[in-house]
Amino acid sequence: MAGISLDDSVMPTRLDAVVNWARRNSLWPLPFGTACCAIEFMSMMASRYDFSRFGAEALRFSPRQSDLLLVLGTVTNKQAPVLRQIYAQMAEPKWVVAVGVCASTGGMYRTYATLQGIDRVVPVDVYVPGCPPRPEGMIFGVMELQKQITRESLSARKEHIEQFYQSLARQEELQQARGLSQYQVVREMVLEAGAQGGQRIW
Amino acid sequence: MVIERIEAQLPGAILERHAFRGDETVTVAGASFLAVVDFLFGEGFQMLLDVTAVDLETPEFRFEVVYHLLNLASQARLRIKVPVADGAAQPSLTGRFKSADWAEREVFDLFGIPFDGHPNLTRLLMWEDFPGHPLRKDYPLDGGDPFCSNDIGASYSPEARSLNA
Amino acid sequence: MNPTVSPFLPVLLLFLIALGVGAAILVLSGRILPGLLKPANPQKAKLTPYECGAPPRQEGARHRYNVKFYLVAMLFILFDVEAAFLIPWAVQYKAHLWTFWAMLSFVATLVVGYVYAWGKGALDWER
Repeated sequence: MAGISLDDSVMPTRLDAVVNWARRNSLWPLPFGTACCAIEFMSMMASRYDFSRFGAEALRFSPRQSDLLLVLGTVTNKQAPVLRQIYAQMAEPKWVVAVGVCASTGGMYRTYATLQGIDRVVPVDVYVPGCPPRPEGMIFGVMELQKQITRESLSARKEHIEQFYQSLARQEELQQARGLSQYQVVREMVLEAGAQGGQRIW
Repeated sequence: MVIERIEAQLPGAILERHAFRGDETVTVAGASFLAVVDFLFGEGFQMLLDVTAVDLETPEFRFEVVYHLLNLASQARLRIKVPVADGAAQPSLTGRFKSADWAEREVFDLFGIPFDGHPNLTRLLMWEDFPGHPLRKDYPLDGGDPFCSNDIGASYSPEARSLNA
Repeated sequence: MNPTVSPFLPVLLLFLIALGVGAAILVLSGRILPGLLKPANPQKAKLTPYECGAPPRQEGARHRYNVKFYLVAMLFILFDVEAAFLIPWAVQYKAHLWTFWAMLSFVATLVVGYVYAWGKGALDWER
C-alpha cells in the first residue's frame, strides 16, 4: 500500500482508498434488462431518483465499456449462457448486482424455463429483492455495493472471478466433448450442481 | 350461422359444438379438418389468430389442437378443436395462413405434435436440443431440477398433481 | 568575441521539454499507473468478439458487400493522383514549349483509361 503524502497539510491516504473511492463513484452500469425491473431501472435513471448522482450516468450496453452488470429481470435457462458470455467479456474490475427476485432466486417463476437465480451461473455481489424493487431499493443496493468496494484491496485476487473462468472453460470442454449446444450444456451443469447439493456451477 | 352451413356442406365433419357467452366452438374430426378450413376461408374466415393445443390424456385421443379463426368482414370468431392421437401428425396450415408458421412451431416445441408440410418445423421457444416437450402433463413443472424438488418437497409430485388425491 | 546565439534556441528547448513531458505522461499513464492499479486478469474469453452474448455466427467481421464501393474507391485514387500531378504543373506550365505537350500526353493516357471504365459500366452506380 503506497502512501502518498504531498506536504504536511495533506493527510496521507492509502492507494487502495483512493482507487476504491474512484471506482465506487464511477460505476458505469451495463443494464442487462430483460423484464419489469428494467422499467424500474429506467425510472431510477430519470430525474426524480437520479442514479447519475452516483457517477453512473454513463450507461454502456457493451461489456467492454462498463464495470457494473445490473441484471434487471427474469433470466431464462436459454438466456443463461448469454449472461455468462457477457460477464466473461467484461474487463475487471467488475461487479454484478441481481436486481429483483427473478434475478436473485427465480422469483415467482419456479419452472423449467426460468433460471432459479443468476448466482447459479455468474458470481453476484449484491442482491436487491423486490418485484420490482422500488428505485430507492435499487439505489440502496448500489450503495451497499459501494460499501463493499470501499473494503476491497488492490492486491487481493478475486476468487469468484477465477472460479467463473474455470467454469467457462469446463463449459466449453463439455460442449466439445458431448456435441451439445451451449444452452443444453449450461442446463446440464446447473442440474448436476443441483443434484450434488450445491447450486452454482462456477 | 356459419356452423350450419358447414354441416350442410360437409356432413359428419363436426363432432361437437358449443357456445359460451358468445364464443362459438366446434370440434372437427381430423379427416375433414382441411376441408372445413378451406370452406371457412371461402366464407370469409381468412385470419388465423392462434394455433395451440391441450394435453387431455383421454384414452381415445391425447391432444386437442385448437385453432382460432377470425372473419375480418363480419368480426365473427370461431374456435376449431381437432382431436389428435399421441404421435399423430396434423396437416400444416402454413400454405393458407402465414401466421400458422410460428404458431405451429410453438405447438411442436411445447407438445411434440408434428405438422405435415411445415417448411421449418424446429423448436421455437426452447433450445434446439432441449429434451422433452414441456407443456405435456407428464413433464415436471420444474424440469426435473433437483434443487427445486428437494427444496419444496412433494408439491410437484404426480400424486399431488392428480385430482383424485 | 561574442558567439551569436540563435534566436531559435528557446524554441528548441521548449520543443525538447514538450517532448519530454509528453513522453513522461505517456509512460506514466500507460505503463506505471496501470501496473500499480490494473487488476490484470487476461482471459481468452475476454478477447472474443462481442455479439450480445450469442454464439458467434461467422468468423471475423468480414461480410460480403457490393463491389461498386471498391471500384469507386479505386477510380478515385487513380484520378486523384492525376490531379495531384496537375497542380504543380499548373504553376509553371509556361516555362517551356513542350511542358504543355508532356502533360497533355500524360492526361491523354489517363483519358483512355477513363473512357474504358465508362464504357465498361464501372461508373454506373445502379447495376
